[in-house]
Amino acid sequence: MSTATECLLKLYDEHHQLEDYQGGVPRWCSGCGDNAILAAVQRLCRDQGLRPEKTVFVSGIGCSSRFPHYMKTYGFHGIHGRALPIAEGIKMARPDLDVFVNTGDGDCCSIGAAHWIHAIRYNMNMTVMLHDNQIYGLTKMQASPTSPKGIKSNTTPRGAYLDGLNPLAVTLGVQNVSFVAQAVDWIPEMLYDIVSAAYRHKGFSFVRILQRCPEWVPKMFEPWIQDPQRTLLLHGDNGLEIGPAMARIYRNQRKHDCSDIHAAREIASMTDPIPVGILYRDENVPVYENLRHAGQLRSPAFVRKGLEAEFDKFTVWPEGGAEAPPQVASA
Amino acid sequence: MAAMESEHRAQIAFHLSGRRGGGPAQSLVAAGLRPALMAGHRDLAKLRYDFPLILLSGKDGETVKSLTDLFDQLLDTIAKGSDGERLRRHALRLELEIRALAQQGLSGTLAGLWDRAAGSLHAHDDTAVQDSLRRLRAALRVDGEVIDCDRAMPYRLIHHLWALANATKARAARAIIDRLLVKLGEILVSDFLHSDLGLSAERLAAGIGSAQHAHFDFPTLSTLLKGASPKTPLAEGRRRRIEGLIAILKDQRFFGDPAAKTSIAYEYAFEDCAQAAEAFRQRLPEMTALSKAMAVAGLEVDGRYNEARHDAFFAEYGAGGLLPEDAAFFPDYLIRARAPELPQLLAAFAAGLPAKVLVQVDDLLDDPPKAGGRVAFALAAKQLAATALGIGGVFVLQSPSSNLYRLRDSLAKGLVGGGPAIFNIYSGAGADGALPPYLAAAAALEARAFPGFVHDPACGPDLASRFALHGNPQPERDWPLHDFAYEDAAQQRVVERLPFTFADFVACDDRYDGHFAPVEPNKANGHLASVADFLADDTSDRGGALPTLAMVDGADRLCRVIVDDRLIREARLCRDMWRSLRELGGVRNSHAERQVAKERAAWAEATRQTADAPKIAAAAEAKAPASSPAPAIAEPERSSDEAYIETPRCTTCNECTQINAKMFAYNENKQAYIVNSDAGTYRQLVEAAESCQVAIIHPGKPRDPDEPGIDELLKRAAAFA
Repeated sequence: MSTATECLLKLYDEHHQLEDYQGGVPRWCSGCGDNAILAAVQRLCRDQGLRPEKTVFVSGIGCSSRFPHYMKTYGFHGIHGRALPIAEGIKMARPDLDVFVNTGDGDCCSIGAAHWIHAIRYNMNMTVMLHDNQIYGLTKMQASPTSPKGIKSNTTPRGAYLDGLNPLAVTLGVQNVSFVAQAVDWIPEMLYDIVSAAYRHKGFSFVRILQRCPEWVPKMFEPWIQDPQRTLLLHGDNGLEIGPAMARIYRNQRKHDCSDIHAAREIASMTDPIPVGILYRDENVPVYENLRHAGQLRSPAFVRKGLEAEFDKFTVWPEGGAEAPPQVASA
Repeated sequence: MAAMESEHRAQIAFHLSGRRGGGPAQSLVAAGLRPALMAGHRDLAKLRYDFPLILLSGKDGETVKSLTDLFDQLLDTIAKGSDGERLRRHALRLELEIRALAQQGLSGTLAGLWDRAAGSLHAHDDTAVQDSLRRLRAALRVDGEVIDCDRAMPYRLIHHLWALANATKARAARAIIDRLLVKLGEILVSDFLHSDLGLSAERLAAGIGSAQHAHFDFPTLSTLLKGASPKTPLAEGRRRRIEGLIAILKDQRFFGDPAAKTSIAYEYAFEDCAQAAEAFRQRLPEMTALSKAMAVAGLEVDGRYNEARHDAFFAEYGAGGLLPEDAAFFPDYLIRARAPELPQLLAAFAAGLPAKVLVQVDDLLDDPPKAGGRVAFALAAKQLAATALGIGGVFVLQSPSSNLYRLRDSLAKGLVGGGPAIFNIYSGAGADGALPPYLAAAAALEARAFPGFVHDPACGPDLASRFALHGNPQPERDWPLHDFAYEDAAQQRVVERLPFTFADFVACDDRYDGHFAPVEPNKANGHLASVADFLADDTSDRGGALPTLAMVDGADRLCRVIVDDRLIREARLCRDMWRSLRELGGVRNSHAERQVAKERAAWAEATRQTADAPKIAAAAEAKAPASSPAPAIAEPERSSDEAYIETPRCTTCNECTQINAKMFAYNENKQAYIVNSDAGTYRQLVEAAESCQVAIIHPGKPRDPDEPGIDELLKRAAAFA
């Protein structure tokens, strides 16, 4: 319960508009799904009243990873595949910051796969958005781990030989998973609701966002965009609510219990229709930064006491000083 | 026959006038007479009951435990297997011994009394007893002060629970204050480290071990770092503010610092209301200053303090006194008050004093009034509870001391919760009767003389959620009924259900002997009724019946005792007060019963009418699909000629805004809408519709029918109608 003083002070808080979170002008292609994700995230920041100086976006390499440049918050554009360990370091050092991660299907599922697996397990409180356009876009069209079988690209001129990796199924198979959701950039209302729910979840929130690439694979998601029946909206008491406007267009819906991991895994394996919504949520998985919390305030006196306790384990004989006593052979 | 009639007339005369012929009243207590239902409780030492209590440290979540529960727990753990029975026997002997020591008034910890009791069991010559005691002692994991049910017990118990609650509060408060101190200090340290002095060569050298000095050029390092560090030192105003906050937080006296050897903290336990109110009044400015300092410090640490916005707010802070939610942060006061102090209490509560008040009643019956005066049993105590209930916002717990252990969770709730609390306790230790305090208190509960209840305003908005009766046996009855077995003249076992009434309770106090007249066994007649039956019969003459109690004398012989009319009137008053309280607790609530009866009658009538009408077949219900879509609503009507965008579905892809930024724009959610259809051509509308990947742009009809290529554009636009 807030005290009366805290309630009164809230009246003096600064309120930011959407434009206050707009950094550079996005240089993504026209029609790129990243624009929709950017708009949804900026709305989230405004609606949650996030303080720009306490918010940080971390990315790796790829089109997705241009994201921090377009947010007027703190950002870290890291190296390929390393968005997650950098974000985890930020969170450990500054647990008070709101940490978001923007990563792509190459950055996360290829070079960054090892970090991805363990980041799920650590369950640190951050919101991770996988911008999955199923192609390497920045490097001009190579097959990525999530590219569907048969896709022709610069590195698969005869068509990809393997089925695409399913990031949802992978995430749901890792110990300590606490939040998994899927969104599509062409349904902005659901995208916003999912990203909001992911932000509010206390833990590692993984959101796979199927995202259009109008430059390299413009027809990739066309059948699903044109036919609303091929999108399955998930709703439920512990999931999302579908608004009336959505209900009018997307009639293919399923009531889903987000606490049921088995049902979530079954839904994750679906590719047609594309499931959109929260697949799994567990608020009880402890976050790593709380597990590692010392439980005690690290005051200067506390730190000094700890250091002295360690130093007291050793005796250092100064150079040129009295002779050290003979060493006693250990038994 | 005539003698019997004469005796009966004498009995009636006594009942009506309270005067008996010849000789002083025979003391019931002196004759060893006590209510029949209490006959089996002559020797408390042989009973297993809720006392004594052990006051625990609260480390494992337990704050108090009864000796009985402790031994039951020990036996559950170790009394298994073939020697379980032997262990149980020895444990119960030890328990009885410890109980006897506590009843004798011996004080000390459980460990001390345990050793003493074990010593008196003569274990040295019995290896089986030695083994049992050794194993019991090994299984014992707790220790604490032992208190028995006596005059001091209510205060000791509540003081113990209050101290634990305050200690928990203090730990939480200290954690907040210490964190603020560290964070504020870090702000100053950080500023210093970036300052010229902090980056001086000498300072940098001091940070490196002396063995490494030769490897560094500290002057150059200092120059480089000074060039790279931020050029905005802490503003002087902010520095002074932070230093002031640190001083206030360090010097506060409300929460002691366990680490500091010279920790000085205020006292919070007071013996009367006036002292507590005065202390609170004197400390209020300091409380306000600390509360304000913490709010400002929180903003500073978070980097949110803005002088333009917050200076004016904090300049007025606390002008009207501290708000109750802010005062709840500070330790609660414990006041030992008396019932007549109620007006001062109420004034103190109104002034915001966060107080937990114990009002202890030792003598429920009080001394009898001088000749002819009306008896008013514990009127002040009852008025206190009723008034406190009427105030609202006050936690009230009323109970005899015998029931306090069972109410420990409610006690803890009242002590931990924010807001004032009143604990109205009857100790049973007042009158110089033959009853030990525990029995007197238990008898008061049974007899409805001091019923138990809890009123917790935090439980909900209405009385049904806030008010509950606690510990009162058989609350649906006026008086509780218990089985009483005895042997009749023919040596046959007879079991009767006897009520325990207010008159039974008064009969335990020899100050009121004058209200009773024993009936000699050979003079009993058919006109003797129980007090409960007498009160239940509202007829004017009651068939000549006289109210009596069943009592047992020192030789365990059953006899009857007539009760005079004055006491019967008090018993009736007690019963009526109990009925009112019971209704408050939702038991046999007359309003509810009337409503239920009315509904029942209406339902019966409706059923009768339905049975007479022709039967109508019930329509089959359609089963709803497992995953029915959420209900959709119709879109607002719009003209098919008008161009529009389904803005909520816009994916912010910039396609349309790049075609014509004057026709298409983003709203506050960065989703596109048509600003002005006339700001561009119909061709641009159609091209935007074709570029839109989610097909949410609808060009409508052209405003200018003469636009070049209009026919082709209309054909292309048809796909987006």
